[in-house]
Amino acid sequence: MRGGSQSRRRRHHVRTVAIAAAAAVLVIWTVLPFVWILLTSLKNPGDIISVPPKFVFKPTVSNYVALVLGNHRGNYASARPDFPLFFLNSVIVSTGAVALSVLASIPAAYALARFTFPLKGALGFIFMSFRFVPFLAFVIPLYLLYQRVGLYNTHIGLILAYQLITLPFTIWMLRSFFMEIPLEIQEAAQIDGCSWLGTLTRVILPLSMPGIAVTVILGFMFCWNAFNYPLMLAGRETFPVTVGAIQFISYEQVLWGQMAAATIVSALPQLVLSLMVQKYIVRGLTMGAVR
Amino acid sequence: MSVRRRRRRGRFLPYLLLAPALILLVGMVYPFGLGLYYSLNDYWLQFPKRFHFIGLGNYVNLFGKPLFARAVEFTLGYTLVAVTIQVGLGLAVALFLHARVPGRRTMRAMMLMPLMIPPVIAALMWKVMMDSTRAGILNYLLSFIGVDPVNWLGSPHAAIVSVLIIDTWGNLPFVSLILLGGLQALPTEPYEAARVDGAGPAAMLRYITLPLLRPFIILAATFRVMDSLRIFDVIYATTMGGPDDATTNLSIMSYQYAFQWYQMGMAVAETIVLLAMVVIASYVLLRMWNRSAESAAQ
Amino acid sequence: MRLQRRSLNNLLLAMPFAMGGVREASAQGDEALAYYHQAKIDWRQAAGKSLTIAMNKHPFTESLLPLLPAFKALTGISVDYLILPEDQYFTRIAADLSSQQGQFPVLMTGPMRNWEFVSGDWILPLDDFLTDPKLTDPSWYKMEDFYPALIEANRWDGKIGGGVGKGSLYSIPVMEESYILAYRKDIFDRYHIDVPTTYEGMAEAARQVKKNAGIAGIVARGTPSIASLGTGFISGLKSYTNNQWSELNAKMKADFDDPRSVKYTEMWVDMIRESGPPNWADMQWYDAMDAFTAGQAGMIADCDFFAAGYEDPSKSKIAGKVGYAMLPPGSDGKTYSGLWTWALGINKAAKSKEAAWLFVQWATSQHTLLEATVSYRNYNPSRASITKDPRVQKTVGAWGDGSYVKTVEKNLETAQVAWVPEPLRVRLGNIWARALQAIYFRRMSAADALKNASKECDQVFQEVGLSGQ
Repeated sequence: MRGGSQSRRRRHHVRTVAIAAAAAVLVIWTVLPFVWILLTSLKNPGDIISVPPKFVFKPTVSNYVALVLGNHRGNYASARPDFPLFFLNSVIVSTGAVALSVLASIPAAYALARFTFPLKGALGFIFMSFRFVPFLAFVIPLYLLYQRVGLYNTHIGLILAYQLITLPFTIWMLRSFFMEIPLEIQEAAQIDGCSWLGTLTRVILPLSMPGIAVTVILGFMFCWNAFNYPLMLAGRETFPVTVGAIQFISYEQVLWGQMAAATIVSALPQLVLSLMVQKYIVRGLTMGAVR
Repeated sequence: MSVRRRRRRGRFLPYLLLAPALILLVGMVYPFGLGLYYSLNDYWLQFPKRFHFIGLGNYVNLFGKPLFARAVEFTLGYTLVAVTIQVGLGLAVALFLHARVPGRRTMRAMMLMPLMIPPVIAALMWKVMMDSTRAGILNYLLSFIGVDPVNWLGSPHAAIVSVLIIDTWGNLPFVSLILLGGLQALPTEPYEAARVDGAGPAAMLRYITLPLLRPFIILAATFRVMDSLRIFDVIYATTMGGPDDATTNLSIMSYQYAFQWYQMGMAVAETIVLLAMVVIASYVLLRMWNRSAESAAQ
Repeated sequence: MRLQRRSLNNLLLAMPFAMGGVREASAQGDEALAYYHQAKIDWRQAAGKSLTIAMNKHPFTESLLPLLPAFKALTGISVDYLILPEDQYFTRIAADLSSQQGQFPVLMTGPMRNWEFVSGDWILPLDDFLTDPKLTDPSWYKMEDFYPALIEANRWDGKIGGGVGKGSLYSIPVMEESYILAYRKDIFDRYHIDVPTTYEGMAEAARQVKKNAGIAGIVARGTPSIASLGTGFISGLKSYTNNQWSELNAKMKADFDDPRSVKYTEMWVDMIRESGPPNWADMQWYDAMDAFTAGQAGMIADCDFFAAGYEDPSKSKIAGKVGYAMLPPGSDGKTYSGLWTWALGINKAAKSKEAAWLFVQWATSQHTLLEATVSYRNYNPSRASITKDPRVQKTVGAWGDGSYVKTVEKNLETAQVAWVPEPLRVRLGNIWARALQAIYFRRMSAADALKNASKECDQVFQEVGLSGQ
């Protein structure tokens, strides 16, 4: 009896240790890069390249200051601070792209969710399929086209190109949220004499506000993450933070500290937003396929 | 009844509602068509006078390039290995977080962090950590368990593994969370029945969980296959296709044709080949998903 | 609230200048203005125009930025700028040039890049500006002050396969680089290692450094790009073959697999595999330079002017410990270093060509270039008068106990543009450099890899219809 309970306790002990070890591996694996980048962003250049790496050092905010104010050498303001501009570009382009997509998607998603019509399946599939087309198939012709029509290196050009990222997503997400609204509510409204527009604005939209908010936030985040399109369609004046972050490779040195600081600053809005829509992220990433 | 009523409202209403989105769609299809046309032409940005129609010449030319064969091999091989690993590990993590482990809520929230970091930024972070000459933290940490310095991005095999690590870090949470969602949605009755029959945890995993989870696994794999076939950001920010072309996939090669050598026709031809692969893979996988979703629903 | 926000913005915008930028620049401006006014041209003939200049990240670029207000005061032309790291820079320039939008009237180019741009008919010859008395005062500008070899390097008659130094001048050099051997004098002395005079000797020296000092014997660039070949590697190859070999033969067929080239490439790659850093294949020029500056390597065969970094005590761990020598000669006893100049050129689609030229003239004038070298370590000067300036002499003269100045001077006697003029050099370089990686990782023998590379190169040339005259 006693032996049995002891071995059970030992087994329990082993189990606890195994779980703790697995949890530790998972946490370190996930968080280490963030911690290390945060530390790097607070180091001066000497500490960054020290061998072995330093965990204890005198922190400095100079990398963050340099992001905002530019670099200084001697008495001269030697480099224009680009990062605030990149950040602003990210905000402008992401906001614009999501706004355009959501406005176009609300009626489209409503049609796909609540109407039957020929070509419905095909159209839905075509919108969805853009999620899977290799970006270069668009970006190379767009690059050539934009040069000619003057959209290269403009916010508008990027907002239009970003529709490839956002539009399929917003249509399918909104469709899935609209479909969750019970048909009975809609029919009740129609019996009360609401037109399709009235049904949409007075019933569907208010009821799916949380869903629209989630769609907007996730769409914004996908735009914020975009790298391929701006890499080829934007110039320094319109670079977003993602392309901006790889700009810290300069003539004389790789500015690891500033690159790390830029990483932290550009990831911050993402992290805050992602906590807000935690529950919906998987749904967003699968375009509504998994709820 | 309601359907009939809606029909009366006008057959064109749905198309009207779709119009704004359709206009944007045309804006997407047009450059794609233009690209398709370019792929049939000899088109060098540097020699505009050479522009002329050559039919499938670019494709023929491409298939003759030794690097193209290596790029196809890497694209497919990488996808196979990456998806297998990510789905395998993702399943393990999902099962772990599904078990009544203390702190699993926090861990779940934490898993969202890599997911929301732009992949290119994640790649840059890892690149700093993978530094082999200066003060790479990874090599430093590995030295404690007696591992010699790894030449992360400087040798062909290690570079492939490095890209795989970075990619997996960013996408493992996606797979885990999908599968976790699937686990939480599974019915409890089969497990109760199995417990009555005296089945152990391994048998339950093998005979109940995995079959029921199948649609979720296929869905996660589908998304990962598509993205792995097209992976670009991570490779661009770390190895740029090297060393010794070991991490050159079709996207990277096409990028080089377009933006380093300005050979636009060839570049688009290459993305069309990639597109064909994606279409075939998605067709097969989506069929599998449909079938498994149907059988799971029954 | 609104007011507050605006004042915060103003504050942010003003900060960099408040820290001394503008005051210094304008104080200097008064004195400098008088100098520029000695030129007998009307600096204000394009007043009111604006220019956007495209620049590569470079000390020269850094030196220009604070002086831009002075240029505006002189000419009434306002200047905006775009600065990008090198690879992105050329991608962006090609986009603008090929679309003929003229977004960047002035751009940074150089001899080999001109070949691409001239083939596309994208940049202007500058001779007409130089001879127009309305635009240029030759006695003030002093074209003869530029080192003749550098001006020649920027001339090309447009003939594929030849004609460098002939024909039109397409850009005006703002700096010069040739390729030399920098080595750790302290380590070489301590372990009695000889400064190499042959390529076998270089490999041996690298081996000795690695064995004795425990650091990489030599560090070099290795990424698969033209940039990895164009400095130490090709200079050595040209010297090893007594300048009797070129990457393209008279029929414009690639000749990488010439037996001498194969032998040299084998030695070079073996040396790096045996004694170089483990991540050679991933090394950009700045990685190689950083590694040497951080004291992690015994030798580097690369740009001469990297010495400005090695000898900068605020950044370097090896300041004062470096010796400089020419790359080993071939059997004829001579070294044939490659040559590059960053230079300013003018976009053919420029809207105001006069404004663009005034800027180029101002930026390459004695006074501006002197400022770039003295205050921003823009080395090596492209004008003889700047090299002779006592401040420059004092700085440079101290490097390597004077061995730097002597080496570079001697090097320039035989330095030359190492490449055969043709517009596909970047592509050719990529194919060739990838062959080096295949050899390094032992995927192929040197002979096979270089033979395949030659074949691939010929095929590309054929695709685009390029051949000798």
